[in-house]
Amino acid sequence: MSQKSERRGIHVDQSELLCKKGCGYYGNAAWQGLCSKCWREEYQRARQKQIQEDWALAEKLQREEEAAYASIQGAQSQPSLTPFSKFEEKKTNEKTRKVTTVKKFFSPSSRTAPKKESHEGKAPSPSITRQSSIETDRVSRDFVDFLKNLQKPGREIHKQCRAFIENMANKKDLGADELSECVQDFYQNMSDRLMTHFKGSTERVERVMDQVEKYIMTRLYKNVFCPETTDDEKKDLATQHRIRALHWVTIQMLCVPVDEEIPEVSDNVVKAITDVIEMDSKRVPRDKLACITRCSKHIFNAIKITKNEPASADDFLPTLIYIVLKANPPRLQSNIQYITRFCNPSRLMTGEDGYYFTNLCCAVAFIEKLDAQSLNLSAEDFERYMSGQASPRKQEPEVWPQEDAGAGRSPGLTQVYQSLDLLTGLGARQDRVLEGARSLESDLISWQESVEREVQEILEKYPLEIRTPASAIDSDNVENDRLPPPLQPQVFAG
Amino acid sequence: MTAPRIDAKVVMLGKESVGKTSLVERFVHHRFLVGPYQNTIGAAFVARSLQVGDKVVTMGIWDTAGSERYEAMSRMYYRGAKAAIVCFDLTDSSSFLRVKFWVKELQNCEEHCKIYLCGTKNDLVEADRSQRQVDFHDVQDFADEIKAQLFETSSKTGCNVDKLFQKVAEDVSNTDFQLITEEAGVDLGQKKNAYFYSCCHH
Ligand SMILES: Nc1nc2c(ncn2[C@@H]2O[C@H](COP(=O)(O)OP(=O)(O)O)[C@@H](O)[C@H]2O)c(=O)[nH]1
Ligand SMILES: [Mg+2]
Ligand SMILES: [Zn+2]
Repeated sequence: MSQKSERRGIHVDQSELLCKKGCGYYGNAAWQGLCSKCWREEYQRARQKQIQEDWALAEKLQREEEAAYASIQGAQSQPSLTPFSKFEEKKTNEKTRKVTTVKKFFSPSSRTAPKKESHEGKAPSPSITRQSSIETDRVSRDFVDFLKNLQKPGREIHKQCRAFIENMANKKDLGADELSECVQDFYQNMSDRLMTHFKGSTERVERVMDQVEKYIMTRLYKNVFCPETTDDEKKDLATQHRIRALHWVTIQMLCVPVDEEIPEVSDNVVKAITDVIEMDSKRVPRDKLACITRCSKHIFNAIKITKNEPASADDFLPTLIYIVLKANPPRLQSNIQYITRFCNPSRLMTGEDGYYFTNLCCAVAFIEKLDAQSLNLSAEDFERYMSGQASPRKQEPEVWPQEDAGAGRSPGLTQVYQSLDLLTGLGARQDRVLEGARSLESDLISWQESVEREVQEILEKYPLEIRTPASAIDSDNVENDRLPPPLQPQVFAG
Repeated sequence: MTAPRIDAKVVMLGKESVGKTSLVERFVHHRFLVGPYQNTIGAAFVARSLQVGDKVVTMGIWDTAGSERYEAMSRMYYRGAKAAIVCFDLTDSSSFLRVKFWVKELQNCEEHCKIYLCGTKNDLVEADRSQRQVDFHDVQDFADEIKAQLFETSSKTGCNVDKLFQKVAEDVSNTDFQLITEEAGVDLGQKKNAYFYSCCHH
């Protein structure tokens, strides 16, 4: 009987600490109860399975789509897109290409670093993988739905995108610049053809291109974001450290026209910080860009409320620098590189999003190069602040009374206390959750035991015995005699 | 997203307080705000459409922060620009020296970017000739040398402001056309510029 082992699933005993695969090593909750070796094997299998599922879905979508087209085919004879030339062929006439890719605008000297040794344990957990595969599926479906409206050319677009993604899967060893070139070539090729198809309606071309970018970049993201062939990750860490080392920089030093004492202003500042941090969670370059734009709009609001007039470039850039310093956004360099490499250039180079993105790049460059002069400080002061020997705040004349139980506290201190209160509250809540979980566990155990006991009792009380089948279906029926007599068939004459 | 499609990026360059922001503000909102605390007005990025013949050209105008602190980063701003309006203050000779810095930068890094020189605050010079610190002929010689168009504008009166941006739009529209015909192997020849400050200079 499997009852015994099922019970163990709930009850925690010594054997539970061992790898679930029974290999004899200890397991770990982080690896879903497996040892590291078994987990890796398991993960590999899950991944393999997921890839197969992805393909199955893609195939299914393709069939659906084909069926959908077949049903409209007869009625309309839309001009179809001429098939795209193979991407390899395209690469040969690269030199004659008129439109420069955006990457060249923002990173003229980004050369790829030699390949790093691949680090283990970088693989995301199966649950994260599943999460993102759900998103990928949704994006695929949306893409097909969108293309359905375009009828025949839509099908061609889908085919080209799929072929491209497949092609890219074999190019994992390429450096970041080459990967970027492949994607940019694809965009260029696709939009040229769409341009011919839509007879020069750039608006319609752009609408399709947005969807194309969303589809292919959602699928390529895992392989091309912060690729191991680059030193993006190293730069991320360097920038993160740099920003942390600059924690002492004040609003006054940067001449930021924002007054955080005004609640509405500090509200916008917090939102701007949240937006720029959120950028890291998006997969489509354009979605990342949108985070920067949202962040910028909040900055404009903050300045407008403070100054009571619209902000200009002179106000905006220093405020953005300040926001970046406060936010210390995760993987900032990787995100900038990713957008630069894989965003559709028509948006990035000239439009409003491009303006804010350029300002962000500028802010990061400023932070990297920042020295005493850029903050109007003496070299000595700058050194002392950087080394942590002194803090600019301490030299300010305002000293807040410490003992005053909150009344005259500095806003920073007040916030610290508020955060501490919050943390204490959270701690207590977590304790309660744990307690609840423990009691739920014991409830489950006792519930299972009681059910088992009951089943056992019933089994004992009513031992299984096979009876001979009764003569009639209702022969056991105790209340038979109270029933009316069965109906007799009546014969009607005529 | 409903952001308009931009046909050309136009970047405003020039020393702090020569009047870049005021120029954009005048062009886009037809207004001029005076006073020491209002030198920072308008938005940093604006999109504006102009009619050129039977076409509509939408320009994305990039204002830049004037402070020297950020000068090292200014290259990031003019990358990919089709036009640069390099401003100087007619009443401030040092501002014209700075113009030469940007022109050199643009010539080195952005060869496809068309340069427009713009002497600002023309109203001050008109009101009092002794205010002029930048000789007209010097500027014109320089403009000829670098093959740039020259305008003298006033954001206060609006003089020549629309004309400047209209010219930029026309050039943008013509270069687009030229690119297409070039590809087809047709050379239309260089159009000679006919524009000069008709309302302010004589
Ligand atoms: N009289 C006059 N003043 C101007 C003109 N353009 C700008 N200003 C003034 O010059 C100062 C700086 O202008 P602003 O546009 O902020 O310069 P920016 O730093 O280049 O953006 C402000 O006080 C403006 O009012 C103009 O055409 N005429
Ligand atoms: Mg300005
Ligand atoms: Zn194991």
